[in-house]
Order: sequence, then structure tokens, then C-alpha cells
Amino acid sequence: MAATVVEVKNLTKKFPAPGGGQEFVVLDSVSLDVKEGEFASLVGPSGCGKSTLLNVIAGIEKQSSGDLTVHPAAASTDGVIHVGYVFQSPRLLNWLTVEENVKFALEAQAIPREEWQGRVSKYLEMVGLAGQEPNYPLNLSGGMQQRVAITRALAIEPDILLMDEPFSHLDEITARKMRMDLMEILERAKTTILFVTHDLREAVYLSDNVYMMSTKPARIFKHVHVDLERPRKPEDPRLFDMEKDLVQEFFAVLEKQSV
Amino acid sequence: MSRRTGMRIASILVLIASWWVAAWFTPPEVLPGPFVIGKTMVRILLEAGPEGNSAYFHIGITLLRILVTFGAAMLAGVGLGLAMGLYKTVEYSLLSIIPLLLTMPTILMVFLAVVWFGFSEVGSMVAVVAVVTPFVTVNVAEGTKAMDKSLVDMAKSFKANKKMLLRSVYIPQLMPYLMSAFRYAFGMTWKIVALAETFGLKFGIGYMFFFWFEQFDMEQVLAWILLFVILMLIIEYGVIARFERQAFAWRKSFSMAG
Repeated sequence: MAATVVEVKNLTKKFPAPGGGQEFVVLDSVSLDVKEGEFASLVGPSGCGKSTLLNVIAGIEKQSSGDLTVHPAAASTDGVIHVGYVFQSPRLLNWLTVEENVKFALEAQAIPREEWQGRVSKYLEMVGLAGQEPNYPLNLSGGMQQRVAITRALAIEPDILLMDEPFSHLDEITARKMRMDLMEILERAKTTILFVTHDLREAVYLSDNVYMMSTKPARIFKHVHVDLERPRKPEDPRLFDMEKDLVQEFFAVLEKQSV
Repeated sequence: MSRRTGMRIASILVLIASWWVAAWFTPPEVLPGPFVIGKTMVRILLEAGPEGNSAYFHIGITLLRILVTFGAAMLAGVGLGLAMGLYKTVEYSLLSIIPLLLTMPTILMVFLAVVWFGFSEVGSMVAVVAVVTPFVTVNVAEGTKAMDKSLVDMAKSFKANKKMLLRSVYIPQLMPYLMSAFRYAFGMTWKIVALAETFGLKFGIGYMFFFWFEQFDMEQVLAWILLFVILMLIIEYGVIARFERQAFAWRKSFSMAG
């Protein structure tokens, strides 16, 4: 049984309403566990607080109540918790080269300087960007920029890798290629992932576990285990069936809300 | 030679030719021709000047004055601008004063500074700071507010400390605003310093304009003015522009764009 890396318990996040009225609840008592080596997805409609949960785990935002614990992965060598984050847009520092962008994360995470070069080469090669070190991000296509962002997050060898709709800004062909490559990369890097998306097909294709979220209340209403062997094929009919079932579940929940 | 450099050189030649023609019809004590002025400039640079001071002494003094007052105005402006962009309290308290200073005609500002502080180094510095600082402040404040918050969040998610944030996230985003403030501030500073030197300060290039003007020596006056303009152009295009090109290299290298 793999150890738990991320433990979220009854986590609630509220924002004050702009007019000073009733508070806006973006996460309502959310609980979930992510085990080491697992690919977990959080699926839900826009505005259901999925990204907020990632921000709380990354330490950018603070929860209003509830508990959050991140344990160092068993493979961790320094005992420090490293959280990698890949955002919807690449969020690269355009004035730094590809190499410097990756090193920015390594420096921020206090990775020993003598490991930097090795990690830059290793992970750039892994995402298929070997030789792009001296280029500036604006010289790269959108897909390649997102690969740099993935490299940046992988290079810190994170205990947990957070991904917030990382392929939603790409055209479908590029996104599909990126998903397939991500599967391969993870096969090699053995990273634990919490992935946020609104695309159910993407979620079932990539994940071991899918958590489904509703908007009002902003809760996880269902947890599905995707029990399909890897490597998976995007055209696998079993994935389509599963997606179909989950879509129905979402509609059932939506209908209950609208009454 | 590219078409652009060709046209540039041609336009300068046309300017000199028109000057030469105009000088032809004008008495030499009013408008000396370009060749006489050229020779005078060389003489100024090679020979000892009046009062036993060389041209380099005056040029040095003027540059020093520009550097010090410019530095003071920039420093104050960048500090105030950052504070204004980051803290609402500062923004609200400065918001009513700055337009007041921005609207004030430059020449009046210089005049007031002279009335209050006399023709002194302090007077000219006060004038420069009063004119330049508000502009720099507004620019930097705008830049601070326009910063991409999503990059700050990215840096925070990787636990970047304050120093890394400032160096790699804040400053590079402020650079375009800093550079435009820098250019304006430099241009205003040298104009005010020249003005102050012409009408009151001892030594400096402006002082030489007035020295020769009082002697009705138009050759010397024009030669000094030209020297001053050339010097400022060298700084503007040789130093500042080069620095700018380097700082923004990442923007213009679209050689491999996909």
C-alpha cells in the first residue's frame, strides 16, 4: 500500500463578497487523499474552486478552515516538501532563457547548485526539448512553452505535482500529443500528480482516480477509480463508456441543483 | 549602406547646406557659417579656454551636475513610484499633488527654485527634482500596477524569496517603464542644468554660452551649443540606447519563431 502524499480534510475556503454581502464559498468541506505514485484528477465545471484547491496546496492561498498535510514522498532525499505547479498558461519569465527559467525554480527550492545542470539536461530531454536551453520562451510555440513549464515543475523532483488545466490553452492536436507524452514522462519520472480539468475524457484517460466536483455546494460528490491497465490508448472504447457514465452523473447533479 | 542610414546622412547634409546658404546672406556676427563653427569647435577642444579653464573642465562640471541631479530625481521617483504602485495609502496621498507639479511650466519651476535658493547647486537640483521626479513617479507607479500577478503567484508557488522576486520578476517587468522614465528624466535634466548654468551657475557648458554671449562672439556661442548637443546625443544614442537594446534582447530575437 503506497503512502499518502497529500491529505486534504474538510477543507473550506471562503472569499468575502465584493459588496460586503454573504461570503462566497469556493470550497465546501472538501476531503481527498493522493497516494504516492498516483495520478488523481479533480473534474468539475468552471468556477467550482478546483484551482483554488491547488493554490491552497501550493501555499499561494490559505484555507479558511480544515486541514491540509503534504508528506514528503518515500523517494525524497532531503526530507523537504517540494510542490511543483504547472499552470493553465506557461507563466514563464520571458526575459530568461529556457535554462534560466528551470534554474529559477531550482534556486527558489534551494536545490544544491551542483545538481542544476544535470537536472536541466535530464528533464528537458525527458519532455523532448533537448538543445532548447539558450532559447527565449517567446521564440517557442505555445506547446513548447508549456513543455518548459512542465520541465520547471519536474526538475525540482516534486513530492506532488499540481497541474491546472495545463493543456486547455492548446489546440486539440497538440494537447493530445502532450497528454500521450505526459503519460510516458510520468512512467519515467514516477511523479505523484493532482490534475485539474473540466475535460472528462482527459481525466479518465490520464487518471487512476477521478474526483468529481459540483459548484453549489462546491463539494466532491463522487470518486471513481479508473481500473484500466497502462499504457492506455486514447481510442479505447472503455474510456468512452466511462466518460459517458460520468457525464450522466454530472447532469444528474446539475438537475438536482436547478430545482 | 541601408536606405535608412542613407536618408539620415542626407538629411544632416541638407541641414548643413541650408545653414551654409543662410550664413551666406547673414552678417557673420549674427550667423557664422558651418565651416567656421567646425573650426572653432576643434579650437575649443584643443586649446586652453578663457580664465585658464579647458573645455574638458567645463564639460566635466556639466556632466557631473547632470549626473548628480538626475540620480537624485530618479532615485526619488523610483522609490515613490514603487510605493505608490504597491500601497494604496501612498497612492491616495500623492494623487492630488503630482498633477499639480506635472502641470507647472518647467521654466516657472526653475524661476521659483532660483527665487528660493538662489543661483546655486541646490537651486538647480531642486528645480530638476521638482520637474522630473513627478513624471518618473507616475511612470513607475503605472508599471508597478501593470505587473502580471500570475507570475508573482508562480514564483511564490516555487517558494522564491523576496530577493529573487525583485530581481527576476519585478524589475524585468518594470524595465520598459523605467527606461521611458529614464529617457525623459535625462532629457529634462540636461535642459534644466544648461538653463541654470547659462543664467547663474559658475563654470559648465551653459556658463560658457553666456560668457561668449556677453562678448558678442557668436562663433563661440554656436560652437559651444553644438558641442553640448553632440555630447547629449552621444549619451542618448550611444549609451542609453545600447543599454536598452541589451536589456530587451529577449523581446526581439524571433529568429526561430514557430
